[in-house]
Amino acid sequence: MATATTDLVGAPTQQVEAQGPPEHRKKVSAPWLRLFALSLGALVFVFPFYYMVVSALQREPNPNISGAFPNPGSLSFDNFVAINTAINLLRTLLNSGLFTGGVLLGTLVFGGLAGYALAQLHFRGRQALFYTLILLLVLPFQLLMIPLYVLIARNFGLGDTLLGMILPFAINPTAVFIFRQFFMQIPSEMLEAARIDGASELAILTRVVAPLTRPAILTATLITFIGPWNEFLWPFLITKRLELEPLAVALANYISTVAQRAANPYGTILAGATVLAIPVVILFLIFQRQFIESSVGSSVKG
Amino acid sequence: MMSSRHALLAAGVVLSLGLAACGGGSNAATGSTKGSIKIWYSNNAEEVKWGDAVVAAWNQSHSSEQVTAEQIPAGKSSEEVIGAAITAGTTPCLIFNTAPAAVSQFQKQGGLVSLSSFSDGNSFIEGRTGDRASQYKSPNGSYYQMPWKSNPVMIFYNKDIFTKASIDATNPPLKTYDQFLSTAQAVVSKGGAKAAIWPSPTSEFYQPWFDFYPLFIAQSKGKQLIENGEPQFNSADGLAVANFWKQLYTKNLAPKEAAQGDSFATGQSAMAIVGPWAIPVYTGKVKWGVAPVPTKDGMDASAIHTFSDEKSIGMYSSCKNQGTAWEFLKFAVSKDSDGKLLDLTGQMPMRSDLASAYPSYFSAHPDYKLFADQAARSVEVPNVPNSVEMWQDFRAAYSKSVIFGSQGVDQAFKDAAAQIKTLVKS
Amino acid sequence: MAAAVRARAPRNRLRSLFGEHPIGYLFAAPFVLFLIGIYAYPFFYAIYMSFFDYFFSAPGAEVVRPFVGLGNYARVLQDPLFHIAIRNVVIFLVINVPLTVGLSMVLATALNSAIRFRTFFRAAYYVPYITASVAAVGIWLWLFSGFGLVDKLLGPLAPNPSFLINALLAMPIIALYVTWKGLGFYILVYLAALQTIPKELYEASKVDGASPIQSFFAVTVPGLRPATLLVIVTAVITGANFFTEPYLLTGGGGPENQSVSPVFLIYRFGIEQNHPGYAAAIGILLAIGVLLISGINRFVLERP
Repeated sequence: MATATTDLVGAPTQQVEAQGPPEHRKKVSAPWLRLFALSLGALVFVFPFYYMVVSALQREPNPNISGAFPNPGSLSFDNFVAINTAINLLRTLLNSGLFTGGVLLGTLVFGGLAGYALAQLHFRGRQALFYTLILLLVLPFQLLMIPLYVLIARNFGLGDTLLGMILPFAINPTAVFIFRQFFMQIPSEMLEAARIDGASELAILTRVVAPLTRPAILTATLITFIGPWNEFLWPFLITKRLELEPLAVALANYISTVAQRAANPYGTILAGATVLAIPVVILFLIFQRQFIESSVGSSVKG
Repeated sequence: MMSSRHALLAAGVVLSLGLAACGGGSNAATGSTKGSIKIWYSNNAEEVKWGDAVVAAWNQSHSSEQVTAEQIPAGKSSEEVIGAAITAGTTPCLIFNTAPAAVSQFQKQGGLVSLSSFSDGNSFIEGRTGDRASQYKSPNGSYYQMPWKSNPVMIFYNKDIFTKASIDATNPPLKTYDQFLSTAQAVVSKGGAKAAIWPSPTSEFYQPWFDFYPLFIAQSKGKQLIENGEPQFNSADGLAVANFWKQLYTKNLAPKEAAQGDSFATGQSAMAIVGPWAIPVYTGKVKWGVAPVPTKDGMDASAIHTFSDEKSIGMYSSCKNQGTAWEFLKFAVSKDSDGKLLDLTGQMPMRSDLASAYPSYFSAHPDYKLFADQAARSVEVPNVPNSVEMWQDFRAAYSKSVIFGSQGVDQAFKDAAAQIKTLVKS
Repeated sequence: MAAAVRARAPRNRLRSLFGEHPIGYLFAAPFVLFLIGIYAYPFFYAIYMSFFDYFFSAPGAEVVRPFVGLGNYARVLQDPLFHIAIRNVVIFLVINVPLTVGLSMVLATALNSAIRFRTFFRAAYYVPYITASVAAVGIWLWLFSGFGLVDKLLGPLAPNPSFLINALLAMPIIALYVTWKGLGFYILVYLAALQTIPKELYEASKVDGASPIQSFFAVTVPGLRPATLLVIVTAVITGANFFTEPYLLTGGGGPENQSVSPVFLIYRFGIEQNHPGYAAAIGILLAIGVLLISGINRFVLERP
């Protein structure tokens, strides 16, 4: 993921752009009230996640209020061990990584290029392309799924391959839309100036635009990442080979067979879900720093 | 029409149609071709064990006709996967998890090979399964599925809860609807169970198979939901069953909400309506007993029919080496393989001689005897066009009138019967 | 590419033909190819199917699929289930979109200022978004079932029938669930967009004596307009396409089909029941509807 980002950001200028923390407008009024409101909101948002982890750590599910605050002594990793025996967590996580990485690479490189072209380059058909993009954004995947499956499995012969898995998600249209919205905000005089200096469009994109729009790249990364990481229907249709199975698929299969028969499916399922969520949380925490540091507004002004 | 289609679609599709035609995918002359084949089997642990053993045994003695096995889920998405694979021409030779309710659709898609087209096809199927095999025939008189194994649905009950409610736990009063209702009342009020019985109240098309349908089959002495194009559920028997369930819902003895996990295994409900596959799940967690499904005025256990919850084996038209596939299919349902299935999974092979074929197994596992006995009188879903749609419509009417009670049962069933009658004709 | 810049003057004719930056074609080419292969082709296939009593068949199988003209569309428009599905989308959007825009804008503004535990708070709001639907739905099932925590906390105030099987409450719960699940993403969009508002504007507004709330409405809200368009369009699209929730959270569009969505019907008719022609007609009507709504939004919000 990190490498995919640098592919697009690329330029060393980003170090210069990263300015101090945006503590530019400290508000003095009612900080405690705000802190309280934020805490209350955060509680609502985090509680289910906390509940997931805590339930995964309990052997038997406890739907009562006390189940949310178990005795620490009764916690165990049994469910994690159980899910790891049923699903090879390491291999499926690796597959999830490959699947997601491929999608991310395609989206950031080709989606970034397209978003830039849609926002800042004037060529005939640009508006038409933009409207097509909007049109396609509204199409439900369920409508396209079977024709797409026939196309990829039968016509392209890509069933049971990683490429076949990646292809339908290879460029996330929402990410292109995000790129376009953000690139629009860069003053075109700035790009014009670079062009007059003789910079190529690719150089402008990588040296001038990309460093200014790190939030856009991060936002696009985040929205793109979630899709393939949690997707189970498509990879499940396209491959029956266990070696290629991503974790979300393995978990969904596990649920579909186990949920109807196990006494305590929740413990193991939630343990699997926790494992599925943790890499994303970690990556987010890493990204978060960069997110705060970048400040396109001040850069554009400067 | 064909020309407009070609004009519209990309060249790739035309190309692929051409290729498929060369492959001769349709079921014209049934192949006697031999060679390696691929099969899919269900991914629950016990069946995987069985599948691996059978495949290994076959491969050992058939070096030029190797079988490779891959897992597909046993749950609700397997019909979708098979449907999509038929469309793309990527089905394996055999799928050991074909739901009878989906067979008419797969057949319409041109995805299935008629097993009757093998010279010993009909005789083999009927020889193994007996009279019950006729339920698996398609409307055109051919078999597009090999009836494989059933899970005759019965009532499981929790002996501890029953004892606590001071109900005889060895011979509980569950025969008539009145007995069942008063027992249900007792286990909730005195036995401490959250629910008397907890069939899934959700709206999926297959849910009637585990509430309405088994009781309807029993009450009507073995009728299918529709017969000869005529809906059977809009009858005195059907309404009696529906009103029985309705009472359980109105008296809050059966929850209107889905359970979290298996309600019976966790002791939340005192009874469950389920087949023998559940025995390994419940054993060790619950002290269970088993009884046939109830009927309005009570019937002798030996006269009660029930829903089979059967899974078939289908041979798919994309299969090149159909000769090998047929031989392997017969191998996989041989007396030995069926014995292994019974042993490993507790599910009932669709053999007419079940109890007498494996006497040592049934004397070692007396629990299963009742199921084997019921298996002989199991009834299937009707093999009709638009089967899934029919069940979905029925479920909507049932859910509205029986579970949530926002419409009268008589009216809902009457409307559904009219709707379904036109549906299965098309 | 550098040559293209230098050789500008003699290329005026080309420029009038292709526009000022023909290199845009090159940049957009992979995306265009992707759109053609992955979206346009299946989409036209869907349009084609919608005029037939279509079903999917095995390659090489000889089947008859009668042409029905606009028959599928006529049937869809009369289908009571489709009416419920459209009503549900409206209920969904009415609850979800204002909540999403309002909450994420306010929370992003609050999170953007220097506060204690900022890292924690940002992560907190993001957590539902990254949790797999399967798990998130599982937790909500547990929390909102009649035996769940929420009913227990509400005690006698708990609705009967409980949330997820209550015909009146199922849709609002789904809308709340999706708001909860997606808010973290929208907060991030706003957080990113907040960085583009020049801080001088805030200083100026402070000099004019505006309170923080006044400057929120005078500076922040207008400054976030492009992001708001993005958020609304994305939320509307998500809202029109919700599927996992009726599929998993309310057990197949229940109770009594009161939580079906158009995409759920596409799934049910097209994939479960193999009537993709009918399903395609639903999909196309849905797409037209969403396009109209997005177009109106765009018109309202992007006017200079």
